[in-house]
Amino acid sequence: MARYAMVIDLESCVGCSACAAACVLENEVPPGHNRLWIRQRELGVFPELTVEYRPEQCLHCENPPCVPACPTGASYKNEDGLVLVRYERCIACGACVAACPYDARFMNPAGYVDKCTFCEHRIADGLDPACVETCPTGCRVFGDLDDPTSAVREALAKAGRIDVLRPEMGTEPKLFYLNTPSKRGLNDTEEVQQ
Amino acid sequence: MTTFYGIPGGGHFWHWTTQIHFLLVALAGGFTLYTALLGMKNGSEGRKLAPWALLLIAADLFMLWAESPARFRFTQFWLFLGIHPKAAIWWGAWGLALSALLLLVIILQKQAGRYWYALLAVYSTIVVLYPGYALAANAARPLWDHLLLALFPATALLLALALLIAWRGEEAVRWLELTSWVSLLLALLLPAALASGGVDQARALALLLRRGLLFGLGTLLVLLAALTARRTPALAAACAFAGAWLIRGWLVAEGQHSLFTHGF
Amino acid sequence: MKLNRRKFLTLSAASVGAVALGGRAGAFKAPWTVPQKWYEGQVTTIYSYCENCFWKCGITVKVAGGKVRKIDGQKHNPKSRGRLCPRGQAGVAQLYDPDRLKRPLIRVEGSERSEGKYREASWDEALDYIAARMLKIKDKYGPEAIAWFGHGSGDSWFVEYLPAAWGSPNAAKPAVSVCTAPRETASQWTFGRGVGGHEPVDWENTEYIVLIGHHIGEDTHNTQLQEFAAALRRGAKLVVVDPRFSTAASKADRWLPIKPGTDTALLLAWINVLIEEGLYDREYVEKYTVGLAELAEHVKDKTPEWAASITDLPADTIRAVARELAAHAPKAVLPPGRHTVWYGSDTQRMRALYIVNALLGNYGVPGGFYLAKKPYLEKYPHPPFPLEPAAGGCSGSSGGSEEVPEGYKPRADKGKFFAKTTAIQELVEPMLSGKPYPIRGLICYGTNLFHSIPNVPRTKEALRKLDLYVAIDVLPMEHVMWADVILPECTYLERYDDLVAIAHKTPFIELRQPAVKPLWDSKPGWWIMRELAIKLGLEKFVPWKNIEEYLDTRLQAIGSSLEEMKKKGTLVQRGRPYLKDWERWHMNPFKTPSGKIELYSKTFAEHGFDPLPDYTPPMPAPTGFYRLLYGRSPVHSFAKTQNNWVLMELKPENEVWINNAEGKKLGLRQGEYVWLENDAGVREGPVRVRLTERIRNDCVYLVHGFGHKSRGLRLAFGRGASDNTLQTRYVLDKISGGAGLRNNFVKIVPNAAIPRLKRISTLARERRL
Ligand SMILES: Nc1nc2c(c(=O)[nH]1)N[C@H]1C(S)=C(S)[C@@H](COP(=O)(O)OP(=O)(O)OC[C@H]3O[C@@H](n4cnc5c(=O)[nH]c(N)nc54)[C@H](O)[C@@H]3O)O[C@H]1N2
Ligand SMILES: Nc1nc2c(c(=O)[nH]1)N[C@H]1C(S)=C(S)[C@@H](COP(=O)(O)OP(=O)(O)OC[C@H]3O[C@@H](n4cnc5c(=O)[nH]c(N)nc54)[C@H](O)[C@@H]3O)O[C@H]1N2
Ligand code: SF4
Ligand code: SF4
Ligand code: SF4
Ligand code: SF4
Ligand code: SF4
Ligand SMILES: [Mo]
Repeated sequence: MARYAMVIDLESCVGCSACAAACVLENEVPPGHNRLWIRQRELGVFPELTVEYRPEQCLHCENPPCVPACPTGASYKNEDGLVLVRYERCIACGACVAACPYDARFMNPAGYVDKCTFCEHRIADGLDPACVETCPTGCRVFGDLDDPTSAVREALAKAGRIDVLRPEMGTEPKLFYLNTPSKRGLNDTEEVQQ
Repeated sequence: MTTFYGIPGGGHFWHWTTQIHFLLVALAGGFTLYTALLGMKNGSEGRKLAPWALLLIAADLFMLWAESPARFRFTQFWLFLGIHPKAAIWWGAWGLALSALLLLVIILQKQAGRYWYALLAVYSTIVVLYPGYALAANAARPLWDHLLLALFPATALLLALALLIAWRGEEAVRWLELTSWVSLLLALLLPAALASGGVDQARALALLLRRGLLFGLGTLLVLLAALTARRTPALAAACAFAGAWLIRGWLVAEGQHSLFTHGF
Repeated sequence: MKLNRRKFLTLSAASVGAVALGGRAGAFKAPWTVPQKWYEGQVTTIYSYCENCFWKCGITVKVAGGKVRKIDGQKHNPKSRGRLCPRGQAGVAQLYDPDRLKRPLIRVEGSERSEGKYREASWDEALDYIAARMLKIKDKYGPEAIAWFGHGSGDSWFVEYLPAAWGSPNAAKPAVSVCTAPRETASQWTFGRGVGGHEPVDWENTEYIVLIGHHIGEDTHNTQLQEFAAALRRGAKLVVVDPRFSTAASKADRWLPIKPGTDTALLLAWINVLIEEGLYDREYVEKYTVGLAELAEHVKDKTPEWAASITDLPADTIRAVARELAAHAPKAVLPPGRHTVWYGSDTQRMRALYIVNALLGNYGVPGGFYLAKKPYLEKYPHPPFPLEPAAGGCSGSSGGSEEVPEGYKPRADKGKFFAKTTAIQELVEPMLSGKPYPIRGLICYGTNLFHSIPNVPRTKEALRKLDLYVAIDVLPMEHVMWADVILPECTYLERYDDLVAIAHKTPFIELRQPAVKPLWDSKPGWWIMRELAIKLGLEKFVPWKNIEEYLDTRLQAIGSSLEEMKKKGTLVQRGRPYLKDWERWHMNPFKTPSGKIELYSKTFAEHGFDPLPDYTPPMPAPTGFYRLLYGRSPVHSFAKTQNNWVLMELKPENEVWINNAEGKKLGLRQGEYVWLENDAGVREGPVRVRLTERIRNDCVYLVHGFGHKSRGLRLAFGRGASDNTLQTRYVLDKISGGAGLRNNFVKIVPNAAIPRLKRISTLARERRL
């Protein structure tokens, strides 16, 4: 029993996409889809500028709307807090894709819904997820929220600022963004520029 | 400016095949419900329509099967044996399956008892209701407002009624007229509902105003159907059919758009 | 070990199946099951190193079902430390690229170079063809009439080993004169040491970093990025000097949007403040440097106010940065960058940068530069070659000197510039002019002639004139499809290469070994070189039977073995990183004429160059034109990864960056396609417009590497624009031989048609494993 979570320190992330490439190969993500992608936002007016690189993927919500939407029980949350899909039970109806507020899911042409698994197969062997392991800046940290000595707890304790995506959805994501460069919170709707 | 490395997952996940399903399921649900109601009044009348209702359900199921990338898994009914009342599609699957079964029973019996039709009415109502539920349940897709819980059943009945004109012209016309007015009202309420919502709804409204030409056209056609129902039933039926399909189709297609754009 | 639930499940499922089907479980697959993931089967791992750029990270290659499936960083390797950049991750897609060169090709007799008409040939025929023509050229013009261009780990065979055995000094790598030449030359004549392939910046201990250009984050040399990020997380301050708001700038405490080409003025002003305000490290400067007095005199009037008028930066900011640098010295550093061939006066800019570092007292001191040491490694005991290997490399000077043995000629670019480096672009000239002597043949190994070397029209004309042009490559690049003979090398995941020895804080040796057998009829470089050498009558220089014996001999000589290296992948030795470590042994690291850091260079003065760096204004832009700047995408390597589907899905095309307000003035729309036309009338594109606040209004920016024109590259073809096509002009740096590439100017020609191309994902589908 654990409560796995990931943190990404946006102050360190350079948007290099090593995480995204690693994910594609580790998880055989088909062309045209991604479990993980990077959003770059340019904010400000010359010469007062910020660029924010924000990797996005499934947030393994504590309260995931994708799970109750599933008619077959293929989507489920396991005892470690991972939101997963039993591919063999998935009828590819797309209900969970519609239900996810973060666009984290996609239809794998192999006939099931696919998304980030927090590299379940790797953490079962005591390894970090592929994206965390490769990240050259080390801005990704993975671990157990219930373990007070875990790297994620340490990172969260040290962070200047912690954000989650769309907290108003009530999903309680377990992917936390630290030190958001735009320093304006992720829910602001106005871009500085224009 | 916002750019991406890699493709975000927000693309279309329901394609034209799903659109056809949303049409067929409306026809199947509405037609079956009508069959049930008619059958409760007059068994032999109901039985006349039953094969057609079954055919529509079969067509819809076939469409679902044909379009599914999980074609083989899809046929395994036991996947649905769990109880998932929060999943609209679970209701839909059972609604369609049991409706089909009941219709078969009705067709095979010479004189089916009224309780068969009563049961059929229940299950077909589920079929009529569930698509709206499947959309409205998604808090993350603001265009799919709670109003769809009513708008989708209304347009489903409208579609079925338009088809029914062929069989039962006179009788169906009154219902067609009424359903047209109801659908029209609900469609016109949608912008208002969005306008009274939050940031996401505002974005959905902007989308509706900017790209909602087909939605508007659909609404107009439904208005036309309401106005002409009594004088030229055939024309009204055609208008209602096209209008309802456009409204539903547009909402399904555009509502998938991720409006998740935080700060951009 | 924790039990892997998934493995357990598949195991039990498999055994059930086995019972039910009488042992044919593997063959039967229920239609509703999901394909197995690669990691659910047997996985073997092989140590090697990466070839997706020239940084050479140690990798762990995972092979399942006879195929490479995943590449990870080697945990114990000082380059990767278990991490890889996106290009390293995506190497698998290069290995299985269906567009790869598959078998030797010979140009159809009677067809022109550039027509791309080829017939398949056996290796034997292809190599015979090459050897016969090489020997003919040698008979008529001498061995120096064959030039050898090469880049990548396999280049050792083709620009060092074979040319030296053959007797040609005309061997060159683009890594010198279109990359590092100025910084290496300047370092050589300031510190008496090159920088080397792995920049010895002491990131671990630094507190204040100033990047001049140097766009770390987009330039994703793995280790450097790791250490840079760690330094910032530790709280190091960062200043970025760049006309463009780079990724690094977005992490910086200060961004100095300098006017392009004026960095030397900025550096001189910093020197002025450090000296005038007495902020430099007196003790260090006195002990380790010469020329302070001359320098002080030289920069007297180079005040921040003077620099402000040149650089377009506020004088206050300039002064403030100098003071902050001094406050953090010696744990303050200005890293050298890597691609330093900018304006033609680059050696002097680099000298100025090193002088600032020296005044901060950081060279050989924690928090500044450490002193890199080469690992101990022995050569293979082959008979001595007639010439020294001449190509040089990132790590500085080459063996190409004026004095040559009897019967041989000095390199053809001799006399054009001061340094001993090779200038690849200057070796194109003799192919055309025959001066100082003719070059009639070219062996091109992994060098992207039409994307890496400026003035492509000249290169094409030169190629047309040759008697022999051979390309050894893995992909049908533009220049490859001009060759007389095309030799398909297998990729780095399918071959051995020579050992690499990395000069570092902890010097180390890395092994490349095959993870899978070569696909199609491709062959490793060492094999191609050896077979060709034998056909050329040079068999005495390749006394080793095969690569295993060659490598084992070299490793045995240092007390290891091939067997050991295969298991370890990387062999780490001890270094001598700081001045105090040298002094303990009474050794002097500064190999300059004076034995000290030369703020003032007497040698430069003797050769007619400024002994102290001076500011030379860059070539001005004609009116209506913008200066063309370029740089890296974190996701791509040069012009060689645009056919890799994993990387192309991340970044499918480049855009031309144009200042927002400037673009609006031109009436440009975000994302529209335009042409770029340079001041010589060369047109390139179409390319998308990226209107952005992130760049000054006097320049535009392109990511290098896009704009492929070879139809054989089905993914890369037609996407984006090539900076190199627009770089028809370069200014030769008379000191280092570097080709200053930022002297090209473009205007925007709007209303280009949208290129009609298939989506990357559609094209990529057939490329899946
Ligand atoms: N992902 C990736 N990483 C790579 C490579 C790759 O292909 N892909 N290649 C590797 C190699 S071999 C090299 S040489 C390096 C090159 O990488 P660097 O050594 O970092 O190259 P630079 O030319 O310093 O950096 C380009 C930057 O200089 C800025 N610039 C342009 N003109 C000026 C100017 O006049 N003054 C100043 N101050 N800045 C200016 C540009 O805006 C741009 O941000 O990258 C290495 N890393
Ligand atoms: N316009 C412009 N020119 C530049 C630069 C720039 O930014 N802009 N950058 C400069 C710099 S810093 C550098 S270091 C140079 C780099 O110059 P190059 O090394 O020439 O650049 P690449 O585009 O990487 O070309 C590598 C070639 O090797 C081939 N290749 C790849 N792998 C293998 C292999 O395993 N074996 C063989 N035989 N061939 C292989 C590729 O197909 C390609 O043809 O370019 C320089 N030139
Ligand atoms: S690998 Fe790390 S630094 Fe690079 S984009 Fe991913 S999270 Fe950001
Ligand atoms: S991010 Fe989306 S897919 Fe992931 S758990 Fe939350 S709702 Fe489900
Ligand atoms: S697509 Fe699959 S996982 Fe998603 S709701 Fe439908 S059955 Fe469940
Ligand atoms: S945790 Fe694994 S599956 Fe999820 S984004 Fe990272 S690499 Fe992909
Ligand atoms: S920096 Fe990236 S591409 Fe270069 S060697 Fe390392 S992993 Fe490979
Ligand atoms: Mo380079």
